Amino acid sequence: MNKTLLIIKREYLSRVRKRSFILMSILGPLIMATVGITAIYLSLDEPENQHILVIDENYPLFENLDGGDLVKFDVQDISVDDAFAALKSGEYTGLLHINKKYYTNHSGSFYFKKQPSFRVQRKIEQIVQQRGEILKLGEFNISESDYKRIKTPFEMATFKFDSISNDAQETDITPGLVGFGFSILIYMFIFMYSVQVMRGVIEEKSNRVIEVIISSVKPFQLMTGKIIGIAAVGLTQFLLWTILTFTLVGGAQYALLSSKYSGNDVSRQMNMTTELKQSMAAETPEALTSMSDQNNLFTQLKRVNFPLMLGMFLFYFVGGYLLYSAMMAAVGSAVDNDTDTQQFILPITFPLLLSYVASFVIFSNPNSPIAVWMSIIPFTSPVTMMVRIAFGIESGDMWQVWLSMFLLVATFITMIWIASKVYRTGILMYGKKASFKEMIKWLKY
Amino acid sequence: MAAILSVTNISKSFGEFVALDNVSLAIESGSILGLLGPNGAGKTTLIRILTGITGPDSGSVNLFEHNHKVTRISYLPEERGLYKSMKVWEQALYLTQLKGLSRIEATTNLKLWFDKFQMSEWLNKPVDSLSKGMQQRLQFVITVASKPDLLILDEPFSGFDPVNADIIKNEILALSECGVTIVLSTHNMSSVEQLCTHICLVNRGKIMINNHLSEVRSQYGKNQFELTFQGSTVAFANALGHRFELVSLATKNEIHSAQIKTHGPHSANELLRALLPYVELKSLKEHSPSMNDIFLEVVNEVQLESTPHE
Repeated sequence: MNKTLLIIKREYLSRVRKRSFILMSILGPLIMATVGITAIYLSLDEPENQHILVIDENYPLFENLDGGDLVKFDVQDISVDDAFAALKSGEYTGLLHINKKYYTNHSGSFYFKKQPSFRVQRKIEQIVQQRGEILKLGEFNISESDYKRIKTPFEMATFKFDSISNDAQETDITPGLVGFGFSILIYMFIFMYSVQVMRGVIEEKSNRVIEVIISSVKPFQLMTGKIIGIAAVGLTQFLLWTILTFTLVGGAQYALLSSKYSGNDVSRQMNMTTELKQSMAAETPEALTSMSDQNNLFTQLKRVNFPLMLGMFLFYFVGGYLLYSAMMAAVGSAVDNDTDTQQFILPITFPLLLSYVASFVIFSNPNSPIAVWMSIIPFTSPVTMMVRIAFGIESGDMWQVWLSMFLLVATFITMIWIASKVYRTGILMYGKKASFKEMIKWLKY
Repeated sequence: MAAILSVTNISKSFGEFVALDNVSLAIESGSILGLLGPNGAGKTTLIRILTGITGPDSGSVNLFEHNHKVTRISYLPEERGLYKSMKVWEQALYLTQLKGLSRIEATTNLKLWFDKFQMSEWLNKPVDSLSKGMQQRLQFVITVASKPDLLILDEPFSGFDPVNADIIKNEILALSECGVTIVLSTHNMSSVEQLCTHICLVNRGKIMINNHLSEVRSQYGKNQFELTFQGSTVAFANALGHRFELVSLATKNEIHSAQIKTHGPHSANELLRALLPYVELKSLKEHSPSMNDIFLEVVNEVQLESTPHE
């Protein structure tokens, strides 16, 4: 068998078999799935009917407040103490207190035993607001039909215009979020696994197994074998995370939906967004815009080009990893133990850290000069380009992607070449205080 | 005899430090070459060049074919270690396969050696559960299991108790009988005397001696005598004159034993003639220097020579 393959196999198997790897592979998806399942659970938990006691200190200002299907109002003119007693007795799910100053401050207090969803809270606000508006119509002598005509909702959909294809696509923040998620993942994976390369090199050096091995294989074979083997570990972990997370979330979603709701309810739940939107559109325009943001998440997610994102993730993870792990291998070869690595790790990983921080900025403005430059420079491109790609890149700017990819490949090849020169000298050096200056000298040996 | 590996005019420096200075050496096929030299003499650098771990700055390294096959080198470094968390058998198989053996070949060879060294019960133990001596044994087995044509051993006996060191010595001799060429780098001079056919002494990046062990001995054994006598030591010293030099003198039970060095080619007869009138001689023999003596002599000579320049 080819010697490099043997090394890859050992590096891979010795890590995949480790208890920590198996634990990470299970814990990672568990944590992610818990978050996902909780989100689903919370979103399903809403339709519990709300029965709300309203203390109206301006009674009967809000008499016969109509809350529709979900919310039932019971408007009474009682003291606050009595109202709390009633809430305590269990008849009501919540208590809305609108005090005397309503006319000036337009506010009230809501007490609950179990927190209603954000959506229910908004709905209560909207119903009260609407009632307030209708009441005021009388003051200004406007008929209700006039009022409905006066109210002029305005909704603005945003489109990204592509000057080349004359095509326009609706923009949204969701793909950017997905890209952001991917860039964090890339940051994490590059960091985790390039440090593993360094640790592996240090282990071989401090174990003194290195000389035995390089008498049978070339240092370059050992270094690349280690880098590739660990990359395979990273990809395995990523694959396991993806599969396990989706299986867990999917399974839990199915279990939750089928146990809690009948089929009809499920479909109703799914359609609720549109129903709600329609019913509200007639009533209040503000509601519409605020609702569309949160409730279209699933439809927005569908618009993310996942195959492209996954492909790009793999490319930029592998490219960025090769670049950084080559540097880490050089560092590992230069030092005698883990504690000596501190002075090197910070300067080396600084661009990575910078790109992670910058990706927050890029997220809000994916085509700013800093975003463009950082996504082209190979040391920062793996993390930052993911965000830009997720937002979609104009075909006129495609050259930036190609340039970024080309530069990344060219840089990691150069870096591996340089690192192998430092490495082959470094692994045989003991007791020498390593420095960048020293490492540059080794290039010439 | 034909050389299996030779280096010609190789030099190697690390920055300012010259580790090897224009060194040439041919390793004869089938020999056991003792590579000697004080610490920092350049032995490890020379070995690393022989094994191809590093390349020389200048000069050439020639590895000759052995039985029309590419010569296989196996190297046991002085600073040797193993992957601590790997299991014994996995590790042995991995390192043997890395030397270019197929899985089947490696398995067969290793089984043989594991049986021979009674290590078969350890197969599934992690390496760090083995004692140091056991790890050393495992390393030796891994080194020889690849059936090398040229075996380079750097301090192979360190870490072994005398019993195990003897076992290793016998295995080295047995391998040599099977035609394996061996380079043995060690500070253990008695083992050099027991095992080596050839000697190569390196000091300060240069080869000081490179010859058959017997030649080296006779070369350095010349002109030295050991004798015991009774009588006056003053008279004895006077009798030596300027032709002979007293190297050492010890007295026990009124019998003096002395070591004499001659300046120039003076025979034992001449020495006898000079001494007989003054003291009563008990014994006289030509001194056969130990490797230890030769080593010290050569290394000290160089130091004395170079001291004024420094």
